[in-house]
Amino acid sequence: SAGWRSPREGTGRAAAMAGGQDLFDAIVMADNRFHGEGYQEGYEEGSSLGIIEGRQHGTVYGAKIGSEIGCYQGFAFAWRCLLHSRATEKDSRKMKVLESLISMIQKFPYGDPTYANLHEDLDRIRGKFKQLCSLLNVQPDFKISAEGSGLSF
Amino acid sequence: CLAMSWVPTAPGVRGGGEEGEVFDEEADESLLAQREWRSQMQRRVKEGYRDGLQAGKAVALQQGFNQGYKEGAEVIINYGQLRGTLSALLSWCHLHDNSSALISKINNLLDAVGHCEEYVLKHLKSITPQPHVVDLLDSIQDMDLCHVSPAEKKIYEAEDERLCENNAEFNKSCSNSLSGVDCSSLECCGTQERTHSENPSLPWILEQTASLVKQLGVSVDILQHLKQL
Repeated sequence: SAGWRSPREGTGRAAAMAGGQDLFDAIVMADNRFHGEGYQEGYEEGSSLGIIEGRQHGTVYGAKIGSEIGCYQGFAFAWRCLLHSRATEKDSRKMKVLESLISMIQKFPYGDPTYANLHEDLDRIRGKFKQLCSLLNVQPDFKISAEGSGLSF
Repeated sequence: CLAMSWVPTAPGVRGGGEEGEVFDEEADESLLAQREWRSQMQRRVKEGYRDGLQAGKAVALQQGFNQGYKEGAEVIINYGQLRGTLSALLSWCHLHDNSSALISKINNLLDAVGHCEEYVLKHLKSITPQPHVVDLLDSIQDMDLCHVSPAEKKIYEAEDERLCENNAEFNKSCSNSLSGVDCSSLECCGTQERTHSENPSLPWILEQTASLVKQLGVSVDILQHLKQL
């Protein structure tokens, strides 16, 4: 009966080992599944929080740019009208700088924070605005109140 | 095997009443293992939640920033244009030695635009786009992971109402009628903190600007670019 018994035991051990492997796989799978379920829920929640937080910061920065660019734009458009109404020979240079400023502003994608030349273009617009003011012999005091000054000169 | 110790064992597969003591011992062990398994899996859900929260937030932050930036710039640029126009008129008055009455009027209007701008920006920051709340609720329901309790639902509903109120108030103050606001009340308010109802409305400022332009003898074409306000 001894010879009868040992092969049976051997098969049993192999089966138990195979079962253990299956069980181990099942555990790892469950582990991943539970982690994945939590992850998905957390991801959704994190997305909403990120959108809200990001929006708050973005609004402030976008408002600064919009405020500054709008000021230049309004100023330039208004002065174009004023110069047109009382044109003299001396005004041709002013008009040239004015038109150049307006075209720079119109090309500027003020609503896009990912624009690669944002700072470069903004500096060029600021410089052109300064040049225009000195040509017009005026010193506008833009009270940029929206969360600190957007004008850096 | 350590991993095996918290594997749940199916009850009832073991022998009958004759082995009473052995059975109880095994049942206890199995209960303990089940409890351990459950807490381990709960820990995994929590870990997953934390990882997901960080990952989701990291991705959404930039997206939210871009959205807010665009909105802030597009709304506030209109106030900037108005301020720029008034500044041009002010500098033109200085150049042409206009009356100090007109100059102080322009300065008051500039202050009023500044207050409007601040007020609008404050509200832009506090308003969360409403679809987002609905999306969030939908996704929670879709996942069917956590059931939204009635109490939680109430919180969401309250949130929705608050947002609606905010929007209504925002619209109301923006389209505030011209009646009842005059130059003197604007001046007396000065730089002090205004409440919503005291805030000068944009249409009123525009109307004042138009009358100022006429007084200066300038064509009203100068305000043409402000049409979108």
